[in-house]
Amino acid sequence: MNRLLVSVVVAALALAAPLARAETVTIQWQTANLTEPQFEPVWKAMIAAFEAANPDIHVEPVLVARKDDWTKFVTSAQARRAPCVVQTDLATAAFNGYLLPLDALWNAEPDSLRATYSPDIMRAMHWKGQLYGIPIWGGVFAEIYNRDMLAAAGLDPTHLPATAADYVDWLRRLTKPGQWGTAVLGGPTDTTTRLLLTWIWANGGEAFNADMTKATFAADPKSLEAIKAYLGLAAQGLAAPSPNTTNYLEQTVLFAQGRIATMRSAYWAIAKVLGDNPGLAGKLVVGPVPGNGATLATLSSASIAASCKYPSQAWAFIKFQAGKHWAVERARVSNWMPLRNDMADDPDIAKDPQLQRFLEIGRTARSYPLPHPAWADIAGTDIVKAVQRALLDPARTEQIFRELDAMLTRKLNDL
Amino acid sequence: MPARAPWAQPGLRRERWHGLLFLAIPLLYLAGVVLLPLIQAVYSSTLRIRGMNASFVGLGNYARVLGSEVFWTSMGVSVRFTIACVALHIVLGFGLALLLESAGRARTALRLILMTPWMVAPAIAATIWLWLFEPHFGVLNYLLGLVGLSQGGQSWLGEPGTAFGAAVLVDVWRGTPFVMLLLSAGLQTVPRDQYEAAMLDGANALQQFRHVTLPNVAYIVAVAATLDTINTVRQFDIVAVLTGGGPAGATEVLPVLLYNTGFRANDLGGAAAIGVLLLVVVLALVVLHVSITGLDRTRA
Amino acid sequence: MTRPWAILRWAALAVAVVVALFPFYWMLNTALKPPADVMRWPPEFISPNWSLAGFRTVLTERPVLRWFVNSAIVAAGSTLIATFLAALASYGLTRFHLRFSGAVMVLLLFAKMLPETLLVIPYFQMMSELNLIDTHLALILVYSSYSVPFAVWMLVGFFRAIPIEIDEAAMMDGASRLTALRRVILPLAAPGLVAAGLFTFLMAWNSYVWALVLTTDAQHYVMSVGVATMIGEYRVQWNELMAAALIATLPVLGLCALLDRHLASGLTAGAVKG
Repeated sequence: MNRLLVSVVVAALALAAPLARAETVTIQWQTANLTEPQFEPVWKAMIAAFEAANPDIHVEPVLVARKDDWTKFVTSAQARRAPCVVQTDLATAAFNGYLLPLDALWNAEPDSLRATYSPDIMRAMHWKGQLYGIPIWGGVFAEIYNRDMLAAAGLDPTHLPATAADYVDWLRRLTKPGQWGTAVLGGPTDTTTRLLLTWIWANGGEAFNADMTKATFAADPKSLEAIKAYLGLAAQGLAAPSPNTTNYLEQTVLFAQGRIATMRSAYWAIAKVLGDNPGLAGKLVVGPVPGNGATLATLSSASIAASCKYPSQAWAFIKFQAGKHWAVERARVSNWMPLRNDMADDPDIAKDPQLQRFLEIGRTARSYPLPHPAWADIAGTDIVKAVQRALLDPARTEQIFRELDAMLTRKLNDL
Repeated sequence: MPARAPWAQPGLRRERWHGLLFLAIPLLYLAGVVLLPLIQAVYSSTLRIRGMNASFVGLGNYARVLGSEVFWTSMGVSVRFTIACVALHIVLGFGLALLLESAGRARTALRLILMTPWMVAPAIAATIWLWLFEPHFGVLNYLLGLVGLSQGGQSWLGEPGTAFGAAVLVDVWRGTPFVMLLLSAGLQTVPRDQYEAAMLDGANALQQFRHVTLPNVAYIVAVAATLDTINTVRQFDIVAVLTGGGPAGATEVLPVLLYNTGFRANDLGGAAAIGVLLLVVVLALVVLHVSITGLDRTRA
Repeated sequence: MTRPWAILRWAALAVAVVVALFPFYWMLNTALKPPADVMRWPPEFISPNWSLAGFRTVLTERPVLRWFVNSAIVAAGSTLIATFLAALASYGLTRFHLRFSGAVMVLLLFAKMLPETLLVIPYFQMMSELNLIDTHLALILVYSSYSVPFAVWMLVGFFRAIPIEIDEAAMMDGASRLTALRRVILPLAAPGLVAAGLFTFLMAWNSYVWALVLTTDAQHYVMSVGVATMIGEYRVQWNELMAAALIATLPVLGLCALLDRHLASGLTAGAVKG
């Protein structure tokens, strides 16, 4: 009798406890992409859905211009007040102690969730053997052509160039007054580095040795050859002028306006181009990066800040974002590639041939950013500076990249 | 001039501590808001900071910064940028102030119009110019093309020389009105009778300028120049938005180097050291300013 | 004045006016164009497609009014505090024969010169410990302290120009120092106070880096930060950006037009006479 009473009381308490503690917890969510218009409808719907499903958690988005995203994060992390859920350069943030290791949370999840991502992708989520992020979306770099411009130049869109030499040949035929084959990127963001790496890797070259202790931009002959071929496009007049201020933004605008015939970019560039010029719908041809098939895939992950007071709520929101439904939405609306390996059979994905093409090209892609704590700085500053100098003084390209090798090798080992 | 200006008369001796009280409130306020973070920043400059890990390195950061080529390149850029901007601010600002003097009734309206660039936030001003400079669709290339000065696609911000020039241009566009305002106010104080006297002596416009205007406004020109120098040395927003310091470091003035070191290279200790060095430079300019303007002397 | 010279003068003024205003014209022109026309080549200087759609989008899809109010509160608060403190300091510096007043001026100027990027992290830490992140107060504190030095610099000239006998007369009539300051001196120095206040207001309204780090909730953003969130690396909607930038700039232009007279006289009396 007594025992029954006790168990009833215990049960009642157990039921009441969550009710009593059901005050709302606010977690902040910071990623630079919140300010991208193509993502806005998705993240707004996602927060609303998450809050409806978890009434005791309130998600506060932190909107920051991309160029200031890291500054804002570092400032708040230094004061141990960083937003709970963040998307940052994983290795850099983990090395600096700004992130919470997620192994315990991850290992407590069922195998079904843990099998959602390829081992390759999961390896990129680690730093020094610990897990710091959950993959959310990616971007595979492919070569995107303007079908009308190919036709005008008498080129066959069903037989896209397979080698870099063929590709350059196409560019020659696509260049005429006021129009260029493609754009070389030398603008002050790491997109410059991303493009350079696609050229190096597709040519069988390596920019770094395997354990990231040595830079080999010039030291690896295949790499140097690719750099010269790529940056040489500007000097030969096959690429749009003013590469040093051309970023992703300028590249897509030039493409949307029909000033360049091809651009090397990720799936999301298609949404951007069609936003700028809806007339291009149905006129884009997607092909692999000419070369040996290697290309680059950016991985964006969600992490929990080390100073987060509500890790379990943050974890719930991360799992929610990573879920299949939102992966589809991001792909459908924002053109961000899903990273889950259970997506190919999804009806929304299956009926989109362009997305399928990107997924296919992505099978041989190498993940980006590269795993080094100084990577954000190396990719956004040092490599960009070398590219800019080489574009200004093409004759010294080899010398400039030799200097870059020496400088980066020093930097890679100076932690 | 009166033998002893009213303000130079000593206040009542027993009341002096009241004066201290009047000063103490603002100074304590400043100390609370500015001094504590400054002390913290100076302390950071002696630390090697890797995110949440910090270790004391004494003057190590300073040695590293002073021994790096990047710092001295940036110092050079800063010096050239400041000299170019301040010289143009003063010359153009003085010129405009003189033109305003002779503008008659339109003077007030014109001054307000010419002031407008200075009222725009620097970051926004730089954003507007970014759009004007745009190589493919920007209106500047179009206008220059009309008069045959550009073949189209000229990348103003993509080449070291023109990018530096562009940064100076934007700073001059935004900064000149302030100097113009100061000098215009200065011209108002030139006693009319001196001009009349000069005219009676048969001085032409140029001679009037040289013998009446210049001596009377020399002081305010010096004030404007030093104040403007101090503001220009710290200029961050315009360069950060326009070029971020590029291409290849051609516009990386010290405040931008400080920012890039701290927030791109994640070297917060090194950045603090650059900041303290920048502060030393600025402090030297303040001392210069004060000794030129005589703020430290009771003027009698 | 000879005719050719006059023509030359007016021509030079006209050039200056065009250079000063053209960027504004282009801002407006861009803000009024539909997105598809913004990248048109050759660019159009006047377009039949002009519309207020960009402004409408900005005003309805972003909390621009909220940012506007925040900016106004922060700028007004900073202005009040800075002018108040500057008036106290100027009074202290001019009314009492203090030997170290020169040193105080140096110290004040020094405070104005601190590179903000150097202080951002420690200041954020301080505000975070005081639980002041995402408050107007954190911004008001920093903007007012950055403005006090320049305001003092302007006001000292003004206060010096007011004969000390006026204080003495007031105090002879039984007023205390504070009453004399409030009732007699401050009204006399009004143009200087307005000018100093305007400078503070401008600085607070236009400042960027501090507000960037000290606010994280979009509802607490000020104009400058809000406008910056509209510059994506992946997409810049130039017409909307320019519309927002215009909205951010107009109140300052209006205020300056309104107070222009005081601004000029404030500088004349303060800075120039030193």
